Amino acid sequence: MSRPPLEGIRVADFCWAWAGPYGALQLAHLGADVIRIESAKRLCPSRLIPPWPDNEPGVNRAGYFNQYNQGKRSITLDLKAPEAIAIAKTLIEKSDIVMNNFASGVMEKLGLGYDELRQVKSDIIMVSLPGYGTSGPEKDFVSYGPPQVAQSGLSSLTGYVGGEPMMAGFSYGDPNGGVHASFAVMAALLHREKTGQGQYIDLSQWEAAIMLLPEAVMDYSMNKTQPERRGNRDPYMAPHGVFRCKGEDRWVSLSVRDDAEWQRLCAVMDQPELASDARFASLSVRKENEVVLEEIVTAWTQERTADEVTESLQQASIPAYPALDAIDMINSPHVASRDYFVELEHPEVGKRRHMGVPWTMSRTPCKIQRPAPCLGRDTDAILTEIVGLSQEEVAALREKDILA
Amino acid sequence: MPSALSGFRILECGDMVAASYATKLMADMGAEVIKIEPPDGGDPARQRGPFPGGRPHPEKSGLFLFLNTNKRGITLDLENTKGQDVFQRLVKNVDLLIHNVHPTQISAAGLVYDQLAQINPGLVMTSIAPFGLNGPHTNYQASDLTLWNAGGLCFLNGAGPGTDHLPPLKPFGQQAGFTAGVHAAVASLGALFATLRDGAGQHIEFSVQECLMGISEFGTIMASYAGVAASRLGNKPIQPLDLMECKDGWIFICCVEEHHWESFVDLMGNPEWGLEPIFKDRLKRAESWDALKLLIQDWVKDYTVQDLYLKAQARRIPFAPVSTMGSLLNSEHLNSRGFFARLGHPEAGALTYPGAPYICSETPWELRRPAPCLGQHNAEVYAELGMTKQELSTLQQAGAI
Repeated sequence: MSRPPLEGIRVADFCWAWAGPYGALQLAHLGADVIRIESAKRLCPSRLIPPWPDNEPGVNRAGYFNQYNQGKRSITLDLKAPEAIAIAKTLIEKSDIVMNNFASGVMEKLGLGYDELRQVKSDIIMVSLPGYGTSGPEKDFVSYGPPQVAQSGLSSLTGYVGGEPMMAGFSYGDPNGGVHASFAVMAALLHREKTGQGQYIDLSQWEAAIMLLPEAVMDYSMNKTQPERRGNRDPYMAPHGVFRCKGEDRWVSLSVRDDAEWQRLCAVMDQPELASDARFASLSVRKENEVVLEEIVTAWTQERTADEVTESLQQASIPAYPALDAIDMINSPHVASRDYFVELEHPEVGKRRHMGVPWTMSRTPCKIQRPAPCLGRDTDAILTEIVGLSQEEVAALREKDILA
Repeated sequence: MPSALSGFRILECGDMVAASYATKLMADMGAEVIKIEPPDGGDPARQRGPFPGGRPHPEKSGLFLFLNTNKRGITLDLENTKGQDVFQRLVKNVDLLIHNVHPTQISAAGLVYDQLAQINPGLVMTSIAPFGLNGPHTNYQASDLTLWNAGGLCFLNGAGPGTDHLPPLKPFGQQAGFTAGVHAAVASLGALFATLRDGAGQHIEFSVQECLMGISEFGTIMASYAGVAASRLGNKPIQPLDLMECKDGWIFICCVEEHHWESFVDLMGNPEWGLEPIFKDRLKRAESWDALKLLIQDWVKDYTVQDLYLKAQARRIPFAPVSTMGSLLNSEHLNSRGFFARLGHPEAGALTYPGAPYICSETPWELRRPAPCLGQHNAEVYAELGMTKQELSTLQQAGAI
């Protein structure tokens, strides 16, 4: 086996909460040495929220932090102290990439803006990913992941037929902003490898979220209108939805993509009279009669489990899958048969199932090498091995409460 | 100034969104992307709207136009023997091949890494598959909806407590495709970085289901840390974090930290109920959300969206408007950053597109050309392979292009 693709690349990760850390996580997946610069005095919110094992709180026990910071190292620094800023600069000098998702202007106030950092390391790649980007009249506005779902317009398009605007069920803006940032960083890294030139990347999480709904933007651009909220339906497929199954709150999703699949579904449901029913003979009439169509499908699915429906439809090559809940997910036999789940021994939470890397590379392995770090676990090692301090110097800094 | 990815040569066999979005991101950063489409109708994205005036036309799909900017397009039947010969000549000259051809069709399409690596040992090939390339569900058929469910995300969304008659709800659009696409792009660039170092290529296998499981936020961690499954029917862990109706539209009321709540209570004129113990902290407010929601809604309804948004932001409370497409395209902020791009197209005309979500200081992002018409660059690309007109017409007669 060869080395991971980004082995030898170091990331100074000033990110917090979810968006930035999720972006840096992608670089850790690729084998970069990602160092989270944390503050023990102002803890990352992801260390402070449940779930914790046995519902017992602890900064190293939060599932949220432990899932999205796997493979990284952690140093604690009080960036309010000038000595800490000097250390951060030395660390950046020994790094290739600097990431942060603070509000616009925070890094500059700390003396860690791009103009200063390029003096320290001329080919540094720096990315900032605040909600609104770092320019424009609203650049100082505050943002979190959940508001991006509304602000991008996704909410105005999402909802039950005839119903109110809806959210996405999770803070979608965060991982989306983070992964788009990691894409831009990778492009910049390839450019640097070829030319020796670093650069500054200004990413707006709001804009990254708009990238997810081009059909609606283009509809407005073409027709000065936007799609109606249509629940789980699709303008080009019917039936297309999430249907009730046997059991408490169990559901199956299915999509009938064309007339041939509709014919096969009728066969699977053993209802040959439907196959010749003029109300459902083509997509356009199935769309016209969609309410009745959905009642017919529900009458069949609700007598069966989601797994049974999925299996019989898949045997007929029709897309179907149970609406997995999280217990189903972490127990999925399909996923468990692959190489995705990660269960590494963690000093405070033991072995727990975490989501790993959604890709495999045949030559350069992308493996999670270590569990998410306990707060400040690597402070001493980073200060002595990378920053170049002696153990006495580290002890003196600790005495002055700078390493917290 | 060169773009970040100029000089990289990429082949794409994209069906709908995932592979096409991955290569769009790269093409807009300067990579030379050739999109291969089947001769009979092309990429299915061409059949999906929006269309001008709602009239379907394969060169006017808003989805296709967005996903394929800056690419050249050729038609080639990969399942035709002669077509496969041409494909192998194309593969010889590229750094990266990205496809999301379904696993059941991979062999017939000749997308077998070990064979292609014999032709081009430096090739990176990324195979985006709904459930990956091994395991019991590998050959399952999938749609964007079924994948969102397979990734556990659909189950999380709905109208909240007391709405168990309503199904889990997908968000608008092709979210599984876009999310998989950008992640697969990151992985692909990672492999290209390894290739720059030592010249060797490799095969990337990418599972859309796993990618989606990995963004479920509280989803999988609630299961593995607390043994429970979060559901659309449960209370949110903290409040206020909800959509509310204003005079002229909707707004997202968002108080994550206690100081957000305190500032909001002050903005509302410090009503007496703001001091009630049942609203004391964000966890309590979540438990009492039924009552609190009505009180806040009653205050919110008298404001316009923009007025309340600006008033909240002036106090550093992270409210956000529920944007409509009209408000986005007219946003002074987005326009001052130059987010939207205007681009002409020979059939669809000049349209406004979402542009780049990032501004890179040294490497420009630009729209150099619109999405290709079906087979638009056949003559050009095949001439670059050294084919004669006669060879081309033979291929055409064989139905290969």
